[in-house]
Formats: sequence, C-alpha cells, structure tokens
Amino acid sequence: MGAEFTRHVRRNLVAYIALLPMAAVVIFAYLGTMAWSVRLSFSSSKLLPRNDFVGFAQYVTLFDTSRWLTSLGNLAVIAFFFLLICFVLGCLLAIFIDQNVRAESLFRTVFLYPYAMSFVVAGLIWQWILNPDLGIQATMRGFGFSGFVLDWVVNPRMVLYAVILATVWHGSGLVMALILAGLRGIDGEIWRATRIDGIPAWRVYLSIVLPMLRPMIITSLVLLSISIVKMYDVVVAMTNGGPGTASEVPAKFIMDNLFERANIGLATAASTVMLITVLLVMAPVIYSQYFRKSGRAA
Amino acid sequence: MIAMKQMVAVSAIALAAATGIARAEEPLNAEVIHWWTSGGESAAIAVFADAFNAAGGKWVDNAVAGGSAARSAAINRIIGGDPSTAALFNTSRQYHEIIGEGLLNDIDAVASKNDWDKVLPAPIANAVKVDGKYYAAPVNIHMPLWIWYSVAALDKAGIDKPPETMEQFLADLDKLKAAGIIPLALGGQRWQENSLFSAVLTNVGGAKLWTSVYGDKDEAAIRSPEFRKVIETFVSLKPYVDQASQGRNWNDATALLIKDEAGFQVMGDWAKGEFKQANKEIGKDYGCIPGLRPDAPYVLGGDVFVFPKTDDAEQVKAQHLLVEIMTDPDVQVKFNNLKGSIPIRSDVDVSSLDACAQLGMKIMSDPARQVPDASQMMEEFVYGSVQDIVTELWNTPMTVDQAIDRFEKALKG
Amino acid sequence: MMPQAKPAAAAKRPLTYQEVWGRAGIYAFLGVLALFFLLPLYVMLVTSFKSMDEIRLGLIFSLPQQFTVDAWVKAWTSACTGLECTGLRVGFGNSVKILLPSVVFSILLGALNGYALSFWKVKGANVLFACLLLGSFIPYQVFIYPLVRVYAQTGIYGSLPGIVLTHVIFGMPVMTLLFRNYYSGLPVELFKAARIDGAGFWKIFIAIILPMSVPIAIVAVIMQVTAIWNDFLLGLVFAGRENLPMTVQLNNIVNTTTGERAYNVNMAATVLTSLVPLAVYLLSGRWFVRGIASGAVKG
Repeated sequence: MGAEFTRHVRRNLVAYIALLPMAAVVIFAYLGTMAWSVRLSFSSSKLLPRNDFVGFAQYVTLFDTSRWLTSLGNLAVIAFFFLLICFVLGCLLAIFIDQNVRAESLFRTVFLYPYAMSFVVAGLIWQWILNPDLGIQATMRGFGFSGFVLDWVVNPRMVLYAVILATVWHGSGLVMALILAGLRGIDGEIWRATRIDGIPAWRVYLSIVLPMLRPMIITSLVLLSISIVKMYDVVVAMTNGGPGTASEVPAKFIMDNLFERANIGLATAASTVMLITVLLVMAPVIYSQYFRKSGRAA
Repeated sequence: MIAMKQMVAVSAIALAAATGIARAEEPLNAEVIHWWTSGGESAAIAVFADAFNAAGGKWVDNAVAGGSAARSAAINRIIGGDPSTAALFNTSRQYHEIIGEGLLNDIDAVASKNDWDKVLPAPIANAVKVDGKYYAAPVNIHMPLWIWYSVAALDKAGIDKPPETMEQFLADLDKLKAAGIIPLALGGQRWQENSLFSAVLTNVGGAKLWTSVYGDKDEAAIRSPEFRKVIETFVSLKPYVDQASQGRNWNDATALLIKDEAGFQVMGDWAKGEFKQANKEIGKDYGCIPGLRPDAPYVLGGDVFVFPKTDDAEQVKAQHLLVEIMTDPDVQVKFNNLKGSIPIRSDVDVSSLDACAQLGMKIMSDPARQVPDASQMMEEFVYGSVQDIVTELWNTPMTVDQAIDRFEKALKG
Repeated sequence: MMPQAKPAAAAKRPLTYQEVWGRAGIYAFLGVLALFFLLPLYVMLVTSFKSMDEIRLGLIFSLPQQFTVDAWVKAWTSACTGLECTGLRVGFGNSVKILLPSVVFSILLGALNGYALSFWKVKGANVLFACLLLGSFIPYQVFIYPLVRVYAQTGIYGSLPGIVLTHVIFGMPVMTLLFRNYYSGLPVELFKAARIDGAGFWKIFIAIILPMSVPIAIVAVIMQVTAIWNDFLLGLVFAGRENLPMTVQLNNIVNTTTGERAYNVNMAATVLTSLVPLAVYLLSGRWFVRGIASGAVKG
C-alpha cells in the first residue's frame, strides 16, 4: 500500500506541485478564513477581533434579531422568484432565438448586455425608473393616467419584487446564453424523429430537450445562486434595505454589522449560519453534478 | 494647458526628489481619510487643507464617499499597518475600541497647550477624552435635530408664527395638511426616521428622558408614561408625511421646503447649505427652530479627526500640526460657516456666523441644555438596533407595547 | 456553426397561415422583451446627454431637447472626489492596471487547475475543488479582515500585487470550474497518446491542452473582465490609495450626500465605467455562446 502510494505520487508528482497554488488558496484563503470567522462567532468581538469565548451567545442574539429573520425570509423569496423567473425567461429567450430569427446576434447582445453591468448600476438605474416621482409612474400620470400606480420601490409589500425585477434584468441573459449554447449542441435528428411522430414542439422541449441540457441548467443555477447568496450591492443601490427593513438581505446584515455597527461577533455568527445553509443546500448539488460521475479524474 | 503645467510640476518634483535638492525643506506630508465629498463639504475641508499647506505642510486628500466606507477604509489601513496620518470619525464611540487597543496616538500635548478642558463643551470633551487623555480633535458641533420651515408654506397655511411647543407644532401640521401642503418633509431612510424620532424624544421627553433612556438605559424611564407618549407622538406623525418619502435623500426633502411644497423638516444644521445654495435667506424664506420647549436640549453631534499610531517623528509632527490648524479659532469659524455647523470652542468671534448658528451658540452657552448625541451614549451595535426599531416602528404597524419591549431589549442587551 | 434543422424553419415551402402567426408571435415576444432589457440603457444614455435644467422637468424617458455632451466631459475630466477634481480618468488607468494582470493570472491558474484536476490523478484534489466551490458562496466581506491581516504581514497590503492576488483568489472557483468541465469534455485519448510518447505534465499542458482551450478561454476572459472591472469592495479595501479602481471613483461621484444630484453626470459616469465590459460583450458575444457550446459547462 505504502509503496504503491509512493509510486502513484512519483508518477503524478508534477501534478501535485501544479495544484499547490490552489491548495494554498483553499487552505489559507477559504478554509482558514471560514475557520477564523466561525471562531470569531463564538467571541464577543466588536470593532476588532477578540479572542474570548462566549459560547452561543451571538447565535442566540442573532435569532432574536427581527432584522436578521426578515433578511432570511427576504432572501428565500428573492432567491425563489429570481431563480424561477431567470430560468423560465432565459429558456424562453434561448428557444425563441433558436428559431432561426433574423438579427439573432442583435437579440443575443441585447439580452446579455445587462450581465456586463455591475449590480450597483442595475440597482441605481431601476431605482430611478421605478421611483414614483421620476420614473414610469410619473410619466404615465403625465400622459393623463392620473390613477396609475407603480410604487414598488416605496411599497413595503412590493419592494422585494422591485429587487427581483432588477436582478432578473441582470441575470436572465446568462441563462439564455448557457441554454442557447446547449440547444446548439443538440442533434438535429431529434427534431426529425419527433416531427414524424407528430409530437408538438413544446412537449419535445419540455420532455426531451431540457433534460438533455441538465448540465447547462445546473451550471446556470449554480452561478445565479452564487450571486444571489452574496447579493448586497443591488439592494444598497436600490433601496438600502428599506422601506423600514422590508428589503434587507443577509449579506447586507453581515456587512452592516461588520463595518457600520462594529459588531464582528454577530456578523460572523450570521455568516456562519449562511455558510451552513449553503453547505446543506449546495453540497448535494455540487456533489451530484460534479463528482458523482467524474470517473476519469478520480 | 493645465495638464502641461501639471506635468512640469510633477517632473520638477521628481527631479528635485531625485537630486535631493528639496530634501532640506520637504513639507510635512499628511494623508487624511474623510468622506466629505459633496460641494459644501469639499469647500469646508479645503479650508483645512489650505491652512495646513500654508503652514508648511502638504495635505494629501483621500476622500471615500460614504461614512462607513471611509471609516472602514481607515480602520483597515490601521490594522494593515499602513495608516493614514489622520482619519475622520463622528463624535461618537466609533473610535473608542481602537483607542483601547492602543492604535491611536493621543494629542494631549496640543490639547493641554490650547486648554481644551476649558474651551470644549463637556459632552464633546467626554467623547474625545478616554482615560484622561485626548485622542481625537473635534472640528465641529452639529445639532442634528433642528426643525426647519418654509416661511411661504407656513404663510399659505395661515400660520402666523413658528411653533414653540409640541402642541402648536402638531396643530400647524394639521393646518398645512388642510392647505394641501406636505406638512412634514421626510426622507424615508433609516437615519432620517431616527432623527425624527430623536427630535420627538428630546422635545416631548426633554433632556432628562433623553439621557435616562439613551444614556443610563434606565428601565423605569423606558417603561415610563413619558416615553410611551414619545412613541405615540412619533407614530402620530405618520399621516403628515407624503407617499413618496420612501428612500428620498435628505437634501431632496430639504428641496421640498425650498420649493415651498412642504412645511417642516427635522434635519441637522447641514441643511442650511442647501438653503444657501438656493439663495434663500434666513427669516425671509426659511427659518430654524432649535426645539419645541423652552428648555429643549441641544444635542451635540459632530465630527472628529483621529490620529493613528505612528512612531515616525515627522508623522507625529504632521498630526500635531493638523490638530493645531483644525482647532484654530479663525480656521474654525471659516470651516464651520461652510460646513453649516458651529465651532467647537466658545472663545471664537461669532459675529460672522449666520443667525441660526448664532442662536445655536447662544443655547449652547447654557450647559444644562447640552446633551450628547445618542451615538455618544451607546455602542454602535446598540444604536444600530435602536435605529432598526425606529424604522420598523415607522414602517410597520408595530404597537406601542411591542416597541417599548423592543427598546428595553435593545438598550438593556 | 451551422444552424440546425428546427421545427419552424425546416422547409423551404411557403409558410402556412399558422406559421406566419407563429413567426409573428416569436418576433413580438423577443421584441417586447428587448425593449424591456434596453429600457435602462436608453434612460442612462438620454439622461447623460441632457442638461440639468431639462432633467429637473422630470421627464426621464423623453429624448434630450438640447443635446449636450457636457456631462460626459465633466464625468471624464473634472468630476470631483473630495478635493481632487480629475474625473474618472485616473480610475480608468488604475482599473486597467488591475484588470490585465488579474485576468491573465486567474485564467492561467484556472486552466492549470482544471487540467491537473481532469487529466491527472491527485489524491484529495476533488475535495479541494469542492471546498473551493463552496467557498465561492461566502460573502466577500467575511474574508476582508483576515486577508488584510495576512497581507499586512507580507507587505502587499494596499498595493497592486495585493489587489491582483485578491482577484486571483476570488476568481479561482469559477475559473477552475470552467476549465475543469471543459477539459472533461476533451477526448482523453489525446492525453493518453501524448503520455505514451513520453510527454510530461507541462509539455502536454502547453503544447496540447492550452491550444485547444481557446473557446473556453474566451468565456473565461469575458467573465473575469466583467467581474474584476465591476468590483468595488475589493478594490476599495486592497488596492491602496494609488490604485483605486474606477468603480470606487464612480461611487464617490454618484454617492455624494449633499447638494443637487447631477443625474446627467452620474449617468455619463456610469456608462463610462461600464464601457469596458460592454465592449468586451459586444465584440465577443458570439464567442461567448460558442465557447460555452463547445463543452465549457458540461458536467
């Protein structure tokens, strides 16, 4: 066993060396930081890290903080609708563009360009367009529709949908690009076969094509999930968490406590909770998608 | 052309540096991190920069928009071992922990030379003095809870003189509403809602309730009928704010007064800058009310500069020169006139200040009316929770009892 | 890339009535959504060409009555950040300085990781990779303090190498993911043949794998240019005063807390700041889809 392992290492020695930078980054930057922040979540750290131990006190405080609970709930709502709408819209766009439309590259560019803009820009510009005093509502009223109401950014019950609107605008082009790429890779034979059988196109897409695009779908959902879990800039630019705490999100809670409120202990407790949640949700996805059948590398 | 000149200047400096000519009279470099990026603020900090440069220093400006971004940049630089010469903070507890960690230089030498114990108002001195040593140079006193009004709007609503009591104020709000004017201009942002609440607390509850709730965190005071009345009054103000207030910037709210579309606004004295820019005159176009009771407390907020730890003698020299210049009486008057605040010392010539600032100076001369800003009486995270409660109270149908419970929990920890 | 045979466009016969309506429906759907997607860009552009007098009228969707480029000139050359009124010029240069090495290093490292992960047997590599992927979900904010500490001790805090290293670290998960999946789709026979010929790790990487990586490298460039150029937080914290990127200046210009908001300057500054990633997308949009299609994200 030992000799065999030595031989294995010797044969692949350069590969081990080549992966050292990655190992260093994972161990020091990622695992090290995670461990460090988990450690701090059990301390009473305020503005600067402290080395004491206060048990689960920060977690108790955290789940007793209504703003944190609101943030979690908001993230769930935003993530659900964001992923759903981005996915459906991205698929529809890709399928429609794939029908040999004219000016295909123009459409593709139009749907993809928001992804090139930063989240800050997405938040600022939609905040402006949805602002009742300046944007669509004011314009419609200017045309004489005095009863027209579009007050999402200022309405506590609708503000999350304003945020979702901006993020969908930003992200659905990415899904479109990925799905479109997938569609281009599908064998044309399928269409011939199904047409002979008289199966309607929508059913072919739903029950044959989409399942074939599973890797694309998973990858796009993973990329979108990364951005939604970290979502901070767009909310700050658009609503700064308001009205009240109606559009607060966990990343903003962490950021505010880390800096504005000088409460590192609570912030790291919050980020630990996020980390565990991500682990629980994402680990099975990542495992099944990227490792289960990676027979060649392992 | 300008670029050309700059290039010449740069190459001259480079040449001088390379040849070592300028070595003997190299100016004292001082890098200052601050968040004063807007027009009026820039003009104000330019007063410091110019005075510092005139005194033989070289001001290196490092502006980062947004208070918390600028402060965390400063703290990261301190932790990273590459601190700036000076950094801006609010007159609060924001910097007390870095003092405790020994990361700031004290400025006792300059303070005792200039007799700060005598010239600074007590709440300000308390905020910058830790364990008997001065660690921060206060540069201004902002009173964050002035009540501003539009003369024309009040006229239109048939209000002949500005309110002097809370009852009159509430009655005036009704009159404004009846006249179709926005009674209360508010920007629906956490800190502005919190300012409004603080104004209700100081004007309904007075100095005593302010310090016993926020300072002593006294349970009896939190559960007292007076504090309950404060919350009820605050909630009763909701109908006087227009629908579009949500997310509005404070200066856009001030603009409503400038355009005579709104009657009152609770805002710090920096609002004056907006009125001045719009060429409005105190007394004729707009007015300021310091409080709604004869003994209304004057809340002392403001800004301070701190000086990160360094052993470099040149840097320490630069730090001390900065302190001297920033607190110099003449510089103080000039700076505060542009910033909208009032000078930190009582021994300055007030004649060049505007009427509102002079009124503020007069009220402040009575120590009984000086109270510290809420941020000086509690740690930042406590104050953060308090602001969360206030914004939820304002934006959700929270009951008074729930609010009181949450205040108690947040303040008592 | 040849268009595949598709249900609606397969035949050359005249379209039936139903098919005409179908086509119309497709264009209507795409057209309406295109308008929705273009609306923000339209608002930004028309606003940036208006004067403040016109903006005060509050008609944000109307075309500028008096077309002026003043706001653009101001945003580029003279908008103020504190006492310095140099516009976005300086930040643009800084962003380029940060962008180029960060993109090159992060992509090379991503390719190297992907190659080692998919063609070589390294024990524990997949566990490392899983950790890396999970790490990408953690908000950046959590990393800041420890990284500042470590950087300070190594003396790269607040310097160009510091910010470049930071971008390489945070770009690593997605870059590694992209290249690993792309390489998994390459025929393994190529690799085996090279091994039998006696080619070593680096020789195979440089002579065989890298030349085949162009499609995915384009995808990687697009994603990294976008991410690094649009970064604000890391640049603010790690770049140091001399290298602050354009987004930090944009924030300073847009987020001034007092005075009348110069919306036209803000919009011009925003568009200027977005130009680099936008240009990259416009110029290489077709390559993006093509690169992904070539197997980039297959599992």
